[in-house]
Amino acid sequence: MNSAVIEILAPRYQIAWYPWAVQYFFMIALAYASLWLALPGLLGARRWKATARYALLGAMTTAIVAPIALLADLHQPLRFWHFYAYFTPWSWMSIGSLMLPPFVFAIIALAWLVWREPMLAWRTRDDMTGLIARIATLGGWQTPRFAVVALALFAAVMSFAIAIYTGSEVAILKGRPLWNTQWLLPFFAATGFIGAAGLVLVLNRFTGARDADTDRNMLMVVVAAAVVTALVALAWALEGIFVEDSSVAAAIQSVRHSAEWRSTAIWSLSIGASMTLVSFLLVWRNGARIWGWIIGLVALHLAWMARWNVLMDVQTVQKQTAGYLEYVVGWGSSGWLGVIGTFGLWIALLLVIDMFVPWKQALDGPADAPAEKTDISAKGVPSHG
Amino acid sequence: MDLARRMFMGQLARLAAGASLVPLATVAEAAINDQPPRRGGDPTKRYAMLIDLRRCIGCQACTVSCHLENDAPLGKFRTIVSQYEVDDPETGDMSTFFLPRLCNHCDNPPCVPVCPVQATYQQEDGIVVVDAERCVGCAYCVQACPYDARFINDKTQTADKCTFCTHRLEAGLLPACVESCVGGARIIGDLNDPESTIARMIAEHRDELQVLQPEKGTLPHVFYLGMDERFVDRPEAFASIWEIRGTDNEELHYEFSGH
Ligand code: SF4
Ligand code: SF4
Repeated sequence: MNSAVIEILAPRYQIAWYPWAVQYFFMIALAYASLWLALPGLLGARRWKATARYALLGAMTTAIVAPIALLADLHQPLRFWHFYAYFTPWSWMSIGSLMLPPFVFAIIALAWLVWREPMLAWRTRDDMTGLIARIATLGGWQTPRFAVVALALFAAVMSFAIAIYTGSEVAILKGRPLWNTQWLLPFFAATGFIGAAGLVLVLNRFTGARDADTDRNMLMVVVAAAVVTALVALAWALEGIFVEDSSVAAAIQSVRHSAEWRSTAIWSLSIGASMTLVSFLLVWRNGARIWGWIIGLVALHLAWMARWNVLMDVQTVQKQTAGYLEYVVGWGSSGWLGVIGTFGLWIALLLVIDMFVPWKQALDGPADAPAEKTDISAKGVPSHG
Repeated sequence: MDLARRMFMGQLARLAAGASLVPLATVAEAAINDQPPRRGGDPTKRYAMLIDLRRCIGCQACTVSCHLENDAPLGKFRTIVSQYEVDDPETGDMSTFFLPRLCNHCDNPPCVPVCPVQATYQQEDGIVVVDAERCVGCAYCVQACPYDARFINDKTQTADKCTFCTHRLEAGLLPACVESCVGGARIIGDLNDPESTIARMIAEHRDELQVLQPEKGTLPHVFYLGMDERFVDRPEAFASIWEIRGTDNEELHYEFSGH
């Protein structure tokens, strides 16, 4: 027989990871998934070369912004060197701090090797771009092909480590039953691919070239990654039916008593399903060129929302007191300012690279084509011109 | 929670209270997320607390004295007493239940191995502490603790939690909460000393003792006597007061934050 229990004066336990964490997990997943999308083109697949140009730009910029967001989520950011002074091999976060620099530097070096090739032609210019090209290329030598391949493979290996550590770091936490599932690893990775493919679609639209192969490739990646995400969710739910005290039980508990959780679940499911269906139709009916970028924006939104739901919303489920924390995202640097700031930094970085680096000519891209002018559109996608 | 599950949890809680008393071998293993070796503190001791709920009157004297002793920021607590009103549908009676909460100084503390800089560690006397000079404020340990025993201290921007008042224990004093407990419900002591009050009480009540969330395998070292099984896990309860709002619907308690 159930009796009614009232908790008089339930203390509110605040969230401990801020939206910065969402930004980090979002950016880093875009970085490693974009790298994978760039791999076929980097290794020589002809129809993936244009894709590789966008994906490498995406990987490089997100790999730079991600660690900055991570640093900002520390309450003592100036003590970040403690990570290296007191390495702790039994802590996933410490392991991650060791994996992150080689991954980021490998991607930066890879982009440099690939981009300095077309940059060589700019060395003779006598404006600012010429000066930068003369400095940044570090001499007039040709980039050895094996170096690109070797670095790409090294970065790919590191990206595995990043995907595993970012997932495990959260999945091992017994304190939050909703996180405590190994299915979180493939979930983060698959939704990361949705986001990265979306990013490439958007870059493809707004930086001018509008490569048809890229649109097609990326829509197929969106469909495949969405199917994998659905399978992961299914596997997680099935496990919940057979294993007691799993994170599924906690999830059902959350959804049952909270209208917000219910609407979140319904929103994600319906957006995800429509995105997959429309992507599939676009590939099938050749509508990718016109509508691909919209799918791109939806995919980015989904990948970001997935992390917001997992990292922020789960923290509002109280661990042992009644009810939910009514978390309102503040305007300060640990709230929206941080979210907007990270995106702003990212876009600024994209613009600077677009201005000073002939990235579009890399990987046998079209020679110095006149830039097509486009407007800044929704979500602050950089314009080119 | 239905009855069968409640009884199951209760049994588990009792078994786990027993299991908690078998010292965990503290050999360090190389595996990720395993417990690192303990360091510091008196290796001959194992501190623990027994809370005799039959004696707790829910006065929050411990909450207040701890707050003053340890200079915790407003709205965050190293210890607090949960207060419940339980409605008995059979008799129609209303009863109250008080549950003091604090760090359990677990024998298998999930907060320790996650810390990326070893700022959180367990002393050889079992007390789990934070080195605030080393802590980077990543809040990983806050997430890892299933008991909400940790928080980020707004003043120091580092992790904060109950330390069993080590600074007082070292000076031969009792922790602030124990000292101020009106009903004498909180008993602290050394489990390794068979003559200590706590060791004797544990020997006497071994079968009745319970710990919180035993299924998490944390082996808590705060033992409860007179525990209601419904509260071993997160209780299915309604929160009656979240925050105190004034007539203008603004939260009131921040008014006092400048004190
Ligand atoms: S109660 Fe929480 S903070 Fe205390 S030792 Fe256990 S896991 Fe760590
Ligand atoms: S907040 Fe401090 S004590 Fe806690 S895990 Fe991070 S560094 Fe360690």
